[in-house]
Amino acid sequence: MKKLLLQFTFSFLLRNILKIFVGVQFHKAKFLVDEKQFIIVANHNSHLDTMALMASIPSKIIDRVRPVAAADHFGKTSRQARMSNYFINTLLIPRKRDKDHPAEDPINKMIAALDEGYSLIIFPEGTRGEPEKLQPLKPGVGIVLSKRPLIKYVPVFMSGMGKAMPKGDSLIVPHTARLFYGSPASVKSTDVHEIISQIEADIMELKAKVTAPATNNA
Amino acid sequence: MDKIFRTDIIHKSQLLIVVALIFAILVFATLLFFIIGKINPNAKLNEVKARTKSWWVMATVFIGATLVNTNISYVAIAFLSFAAFRELYSILGFRESDRRAIFWAFVSIPVQYYLAFIGWYGAFIIFIPVVMFLLLPLRLVLKGDTQGIIKSMSMLQWTLMLTVFGISHMAYLLSLPKLNGFENGGRGLLLFLVFITEINDVMQFTWGKLLGRHKIIPKISPNKTWEGFIGGIICTTIIGYFLRFLTPLNNYQALLVSFIVAIAGFVGDVVMSSIKRDIGLKDTGSIIPGHGGILDRIDSLAYAAPAFFHLVYYIAY
Repeated sequence: MKKLLLQFTFSFLLRNILKIFVGVQFHKAKFLVDEKQFIIVANHNSHLDTMALMASIPSKIIDRVRPVAAADHFGKTSRQARMSNYFINTLLIPRKRDKDHPAEDPINKMIAALDEGYSLIIFPEGTRGEPEKLQPLKPGVGIVLSKRPLIKYVPVFMSGMGKAMPKGDSLIVPHTARLFYGSPASVKSTDVHEIISQIEADIMELKAKVTAPATNNA
Repeated sequence: MDKIFRTDIIHKSQLLIVVALIFAILVFATLLFFIIGKINPNAKLNEVKARTKSWWVMATVFIGATLVNTNISYVAIAFLSFAAFRELYSILGFRESDRRAIFWAFVSIPVQYYLAFIGWYGAFIIFIPVVMFLLLPLRLVLKGDTQGIIKSMSMLQWTLMLTVFGISHMAYLLSLPKLNGFENGGRGLLLFLVFITEINDVMQFTWGKLLGRHKIIPKISPNKTWEGFIGGIICTTIIGYFLRFLTPLNNYQALLVSFIVAIAGFVGDVVMSSIKRDIGLKDTGSIIPGHGGILDRIDSLAYAAPAFFHLVYYIAY
């Protein structure tokens, strides 16, 4: 039931609204079906990001993918938390590490979800930044990948989302946007900093690909 | 219900002839490139093949959306305006503080098409050039970000004029009153306009590829040549003459109108090219394979539609 609901809201409804109304151009993501488990790392400029990413995922595996979100923002009340868990399939985590309660620690929560077989969507910038600018990445995803180095990560770059719906504004103004998938990659080392710079380089490379202006004539 | 799903195109044999002609051209072009590709496998045909494939889709969508039912046509053309407006403003680089004004510009699209739908000519013709022209700066002023405000005002109004006001003339053709002895009505005119404009693009492209030597405006568009321009205009004028049965025009009027539409289409094309030059883009988008964005395809229509509409309105109505 939940899978059907997710498929209907994201793969059908939101995908078409984003495509036709907002003007998002989706990149093919069929290859995700062949990956057993993955962590999507994407840049973050807008509330549309999560919606667009969920809508881009093949409907076959949509219930196996959980976007990681901040509990203090999306789970202010327990009712809100239940709603976003049910309708967006979120994994809510606290922003700060918690040494005293290992079960509540954000890193442990993500690892637990991975061990259950879920794939994750993580915005390593932590919060939405200015449109088209990448902020320094937080180490969280690096720690997770250093503890589960066999899981592949998939870099994603989105442009235009922050123009259609920037931070601090709830009005959506249609604006051409693109969602671009990189190819799945394994971490080259288990050092957190090296993982982070590897991911950062991948996202920047995608960004260059997406925003490169054609120099040809018209 | 019967009114909404009326499909009386079947009874309009003259429109059907042109529809058959369009598909005949497409079949011819597809076969031609297929055969050339077989004879000379080294010929660079990828671009023209992609273009032809996209033409199939565009022609089918256009015929389905505009000829089958008039009421759907208004919505379809309005959506075309919407997509073109979105595409153009997205590449122009507006400020974040312009978003509210842009939102109102988006709202003006259904209003403009509603005015075309009810056939209120006076309001239709002033809504964007006067009403929106006066209102949009107000919204920008209320936001209070004055750094670069004149640029935003001008770009926004210009984008609206080109993609909404210009294109909406296509919709108003369908709302023109009935003329005695002229059966095809607005759909005949719309089909004539779009066919003439697009065949003009194709002819200029073809003549330019075949004979093009002397560049017209090398700084803006290196692909535009005098040979393509003149060959295109002559072909378009002749084709317009033979398709005059779609319009209420007589022989001379049909020649004149086709000639002016051909020139207007060319001007629209190079104006859009100059903007792309300014921003440093080749195409305005990548939605239509081989062609680029929506704007790359309808830039000539944005100029040709008002020119055609007002000429016909003056001559025949």
